[in-house]
Amino acid sequence: MTGRALDNLLRLLGMLMIGGIVCFLLIPIVVTVVMAFDARAYLGPLPPPAYSLRWFRRFFSDDYFLRGLGTSVQLALLSATLSLCVGVATAVALDRGSWRGKEALTSLFLSPLIVPPVVTGFALLLFLSGLGLSNGFARLLCGHIIITVPYTIRSTLAGLSGIDGSLTEAALILGANERSAFWDVTFPLARTGIVCGAIFAFAISMDDVAVSIMLTDANTYTLPVALISSMRANFDLSIAAASVLLMLATLALILVLEKLVGLDRIIGQGVFR
Amino acid sequence: MPQGRPVKRAYPALLLPGAAVYLGFFFLPLAGLFRESFRQFTPGGVGSAANAPFTLANYSELLTPSFAEFFLETMRISLLASLTGLLFAFPLAYWLARRLSPGWRATAVGFFVTLMFLSVLVRTYALELTLGAAGPLRPILLGVGIFPNGRGYIELLVAGGLLHYIVPMATLTLLATIQNVDPRLFDAAQNLGAPGWKAHLTITLPLCARGLLAAFLFSFTFSISAFVIPMILGKGRVLFISNLIYNRFSEVADYPSGAAISIVLFAVALTIVYVTSRQLHRRSMP
Repeated sequence: MTGRALDNLLRLLGMLMIGGIVCFLLIPIVVTVVMAFDARAYLGPLPPPAYSLRWFRRFFSDDYFLRGLGTSVQLALLSATLSLCVGVATAVALDRGSWRGKEALTSLFLSPLIVPPVVTGFALLLFLSGLGLSNGFARLLCGHIIITVPYTIRSTLAGLSGIDGSLTEAALILGANERSAFWDVTFPLARTGIVCGAIFAFAISMDDVAVSIMLTDANTYTLPVALISSMRANFDLSIAAASVLLMLATLALILVLEKLVGLDRIIGQGVFR
Repeated sequence: MPQGRPVKRAYPALLLPGAAVYLGFFFLPLAGLFRESFRQFTPGGVGSAANAPFTLANYSELLTPSFAEFFLETMRISLLASLTGLLFAFPLAYWLARRLSPGWRATAVGFFVTLMFLSVLVRTYALELTLGAAGPLRPILLGVGIFPNGRGYIELLVAGGLLHYIVPMATLTLLATIQNVDPRLFDAAQNLGAPGWKAHLTITLPLCARGLLAAFLFSFTFSISAFVIPMILGKGRVLFISNLIYNRFSEVADYPSGAAISIVLFAVALTIVYVTSRQLHRRSMP
């Protein structure tokens, strides 16, 4: 076989692989969306003969899910706010510090990212029960703070590192003190990174299962934990409705990120494009 | 660093809240976990007794074939999913970087970012609904002689669940890598008479080695610590190490054994990150 023919064959194979994998990624999502609007009371073959909103109504009339949703939203707002405060303070200190071992300290602050979440959750469970803390919400809050803080630290650090030092210098020369130079110059310039960190923290907290499942109690549980346990119990299509709502939430989040930051800044792009 | 930059005043006090949070919610709990993993467990209790004697039994138990099987299975499925993910993500990223117009590329990037951010619950439920034992594919599967409740199929489904996250993530990682490779190098190789496949094999791929390694690191560490995907798609027949830890906690309340498994999983994750990032470091400074 000549090189040219082999090239064409490989190009064809490549296109087939790309088509195949995009189908694999998309088809399950399309199926879920279609099934969420299924009017039948049971799980039947596709396509559904009629469409309705019954599964959405069912989701919104289920106390078990609604309680989980309430806890999740409160928990995500509170833990994102707290971990943002802690994360910004830590990142500013790390960015300004010039002592030896700063690199190591930064890695130490990012280390929860490489610990499997189940391990973090289990360790926290043992520790908090040892202390006698049995309040579900407080335990969940501890867990959600530690899994979100590394993200707020990392993106604030990224925001701070892009700032030209001469701008702060100019503010100081023009008579600003350290404090107002930070709040009026540095902070607004790092805003993109900080906002990005807050959004990440919120999303991570809303989506977590592995840590939360260890720390819930009988009355306090998050929406993902509620969905997981009913997913294991029976294959009810109100979970498909919940999935559609979660997809919409993800889409809204991406649009906000795109408006505020620009997606290409999040993933980073190369030189030769 | 521009010269004449004022010495920034450091504020070590700002580290205090972070230090408190990390100590209280992370380092002390991990130390406690390590200690618990050496405690003796009396069946029937919840966790170890307050003054239980120390023992190595929780670790030696993990060396028995039935336990080792869980570790091997986690590794095997994770490796399969990570390598398959890279195999598909590379041509996809190349196509995005080199064949699409900037406008379409931005749209495609938005699509993959959305897929990456998609809740793990949605991903898992969608796969179970579509490809699971009760899904619309059931007649087709049975028709070609695949039993959707068979062990082999369930393992593939778990790998598929991992793949559903790995492909978008690795594609975005590799997109930046490929965009950093000068396309003129590839053109030069072709002008000098190399067929396209050979030019890719000797020019593009080696120049992307770092990106491939990084994408592999993300994929593999994500896979071995996966929890929801094997829990739902594995249906109790395929258990990952994470699920085993949860079962030790929720079913038998054997905390010391759960702690020992956690410590081993932690050590495995740490080793993988250490080995791969050393490789990454070596390649960055040839």
